[in-house]
Amino acid sequence: MRRVFLAVLGVAACTVVHADEFTEADLERWAAQFESVAQEGRRLWTSPELGTNGVACGQCHPNAANTHPETYPKFQKQLGRVAQMWEMVNWCIRNPLEGQDLDPGDARMTALLAYIAKERRGVALEPGKH
Amino acid sequence: MRWMLLLVSLGAAWHAAAQPLGLPPVPIPEDNPITPAKVALGERLFNDVRFSSTGAVSCATCHAPATAFTDARQVSVGINGLTGTRNAPTVVNAAYNATQFWDGRSPSLEDQALHPIVNPVEMAMPSHDAVLEIIRADREYTRAFRNVFDVRPEQIRIEHVTKAIAAFERTQVAGDSPFDRWYFGGEDDAISDAAKRGFDVFLTDGRCVSCHTIEQDHALFTDHRFHNIGIGVNAMQDRIGELAKAFLVAKAQGIDVDAAVLSDPDTSHLGRFAVTGDLSEIGAFKTPTLRNVAVTAPYMHDGSLATLREVVEHYNNGGVIPADAPVNHYLSGGIRPLNLTEQQIDDLVTFMESLTSPQFAVPTTSGPVAALDRREEQ
Amino acid sequence: MKMNRRGFLQRSGAAMAGSILPVSLVKLAFGQEQGGQDFTFAYISDSHIQQISGARFVRNWDQGLKRAVAEANLLEPAPDFVVFGGDLAQLGTKAELDHGAEMLSALRYPLYCVMGEHDYYLDLGEYWSELFGDHYYSFDHKGVHFVVLNSILTYDEWTYERWETPERRMLEMAGLDNPNGSPFMVGERQREWLRNDLANVPRSTPIVVLSHSPLQKIYKGWNFWTEDAEEVQAILAPFEKVTVLYGHVHQIQYNQIGSISFHSAMATAWPWPYPSTYAQSGAYVPVMTVPMNRADPFNERDATGWQFVDVHTGRVAVNYTLYDNKNRTVAFNAATGRPEDMEYQHPPRRIPPQAHY
Repeated sequence: MRRVFLAVLGVAACTVVHADEFTEADLERWAAQFESVAQEGRRLWTSPELGTNGVACGQCHPNAANTHPETYPKFQKQLGRVAQMWEMVNWCIRNPLEGQDLDPGDARMTALLAYIAKERRGVALEPGKH
Repeated sequence: MRWMLLLVSLGAAWHAAAQPLGLPPVPIPEDNPITPAKVALGERLFNDVRFSSTGAVSCATCHAPATAFTDARQVSVGINGLTGTRNAPTVVNAAYNATQFWDGRSPSLEDQALHPIVNPVEMAMPSHDAVLEIIRADREYTRAFRNVFDVRPEQIRIEHVTKAIAAFERTQVAGDSPFDRWYFGGEDDAISDAAKRGFDVFLTDGRCVSCHTIEQDHALFTDHRFHNIGIGVNAMQDRIGELAKAFLVAKAQGIDVDAAVLSDPDTSHLGRFAVTGDLSEIGAFKTPTLRNVAVTAPYMHDGSLATLREVVEHYNNGGVIPADAPVNHYLSGGIRPLNLTEQQIDDLVTFMESLTSPQFAVPTTSGPVAALDRREEQ
Repeated sequence: MKMNRRGFLQRSGAAMAGSILPVSLVKLAFGQEQGGQDFTFAYISDSHIQQISGARFVRNWDQGLKRAVAEANLLEPAPDFVVFGGDLAQLGTKAELDHGAEMLSALRYPLYCVMGEHDYYLDLGEYWSELFGDHYYSFDHKGVHFVVLNSILTYDEWTYERWETPERRMLEMAGLDNPNGSPFMVGERQREWLRNDLANVPRSTPIVVLSHSPLQKIYKGWNFWTEDAEEVQAILAPFEKVTVLYGHVHQIQYNQIGSISFHSAMATAWPWPYPSTYAQSGAYVPVMTVPMNRADPFNERDATGWQFVDVHTGRVAVNYTLYDNKNRTVAFNAATGRPEDMEYQHPPRRIPPQAHY
């Protein structure tokens, strides 16, 4: 029985692609890709390019503090309903920054959210907390 | 037997109306529960012109049921044609307000009812006792007060009067507007595309929702707060310092704020500052509800804006008319030029027109019902 | 028709004591201690006037300063003078400083200015001096000795050698959380000046220090920090009644270290989060601080404001005018020997906006 088992393992080891396996190298590479997107988010965070009046996110939110990503979705008075983090990012771009909304799938939105989440890592989820 | 049925059905009818679509439950103070008999008494008091020094003015004079409980005037007119300084707010949905009056100087409906009775330019009674004398001399009233409050005529106090009036006012709530049916009721064709676009402007480029707030399952369209949006104060910017100080001195000497703010336009324009003395509330007025706004013209605390389009233009300019006029320095932080297109302004107005409850609806030349009418005519 | 103050009060025939304004309430709370005159001064800070291009400036910051100035002009009784607490401009340009100075010129009282880093690092305060005079100085007023420090200096290498252009240097200092920044300090030369300035001041004379940086070490990552805080505090320590008023942090803070009370100013431009809200910082504010009210972070004036300071028997009460929030007063409590919020100090009295972010 054991010999058969080992033989099967041997076959498995020779096969290159499995749908449900990844390697240490994959993990490192993907972490680095996240890191680069988060760094782009940091760059956008301190850049005036998202708005039209020179104001940057980082002016009011140093190190993305006070964005509280762990509390979303939650009721947002300024939208009149329970809303998601990206909708509030757009609120800030439209209002203090006097810019245009980003699509939720826009690479810049992803970068901003990645940076925000990274600066808030380790904090427990508290969805709905106002 | 029949009158009991009547009371029950009145009660049932009231309960059916008590939870209109788009509104939360009406807040009712513990010491003033609503009963059909109290409501009926309150309605009678509300409409009684004897409670004025000339016998010609009642609450309903300025808060007329036929005109959505306003008087369609720029500022209200009391006894002997005397004018005040402020536009009559609607009673409809006032039950939800955290404070009453444009400057919030009254904490409740019960308290609010005390003031116009003795205000010199409104009903001008010499005192509240004068009202009680009239009531005590009226057999129907004394019977009703005994029934509702279990008091003998000599025990009737002004608090009983205002409680009854407040109870009646708490039944004047209205939701079920086309907007409510669409946004909360899921009826996709309850409002036009233009109104839907206008709602989007309301939430985004118009920034209206910041103060005319809505929530997940209801919409009162007010944050109950006080904001200087550039009405009234704009024309007196260089005089505000003097006036504010003079007013505080007068107030320290004991003048009646209620009389003062209705007697002089400049004092009226000081707004919430006259009530709190807070430097950050110069020229600030309460955010009114937008429900039924299309049928409660003219607009603002001084009735100075005649149409909804003018209102939107005032906001679009950043709190001034015309656009290049100087902005007053006490302007609320949220007011700034909006750069709306003409289309957006039109749509925003159309959206506001969708907030009219069916009982106050006036036939219009646009909208889904009118469109149906036109089609039938063809 | 303009009335001077004396004429106005005579005509009204009313004493201002017992008026609605908080000034008199604070005075009464202190009781009738002896010594010194009571007076009030206004304190406006951190306007960060920011140029977009040409004559276009960020509207929200402009409005914040205009409003503070307009309201300060309404104070009754009138304050003796106004202090501007630093960071008038955002990037220290002539256009920004001029625009800010123009708005400040509407104030009706004598003006004393404190240097902020956003004013300094473009031209090292050269244009500032043309507008406002010395970077550090002292003056006496009604028995209180005031010292104005330029407390946003930093290491010489960073200031003079590290950056290729003044514009670059200013941009690097402008980012609060910029890892390329450098800690603030008063520096040896000013500490020497301070020692000399205080040498002949009696120990019992109340001292008020006006500074931009906190003269404490709160959170280095955001330069809520003065590198030589201990040395400066040591120079002040021998005096019986010392108060430090500082800007820069854009939030309510207060503290007591030895005989020195510390109070921060609100910004007229925008608020900053407390360092503890940065999860990776491990930082805190002084334990006794009741956080500022954040009732509605989306109101453009939320958690911004200005303040007027009552000086009574050499101790200070700071009255914060917070927009759309309850105004607050942080006053020295003689019983406990430290500043306390007059309404919210004890935890059961706190309200939700003070825990909101």
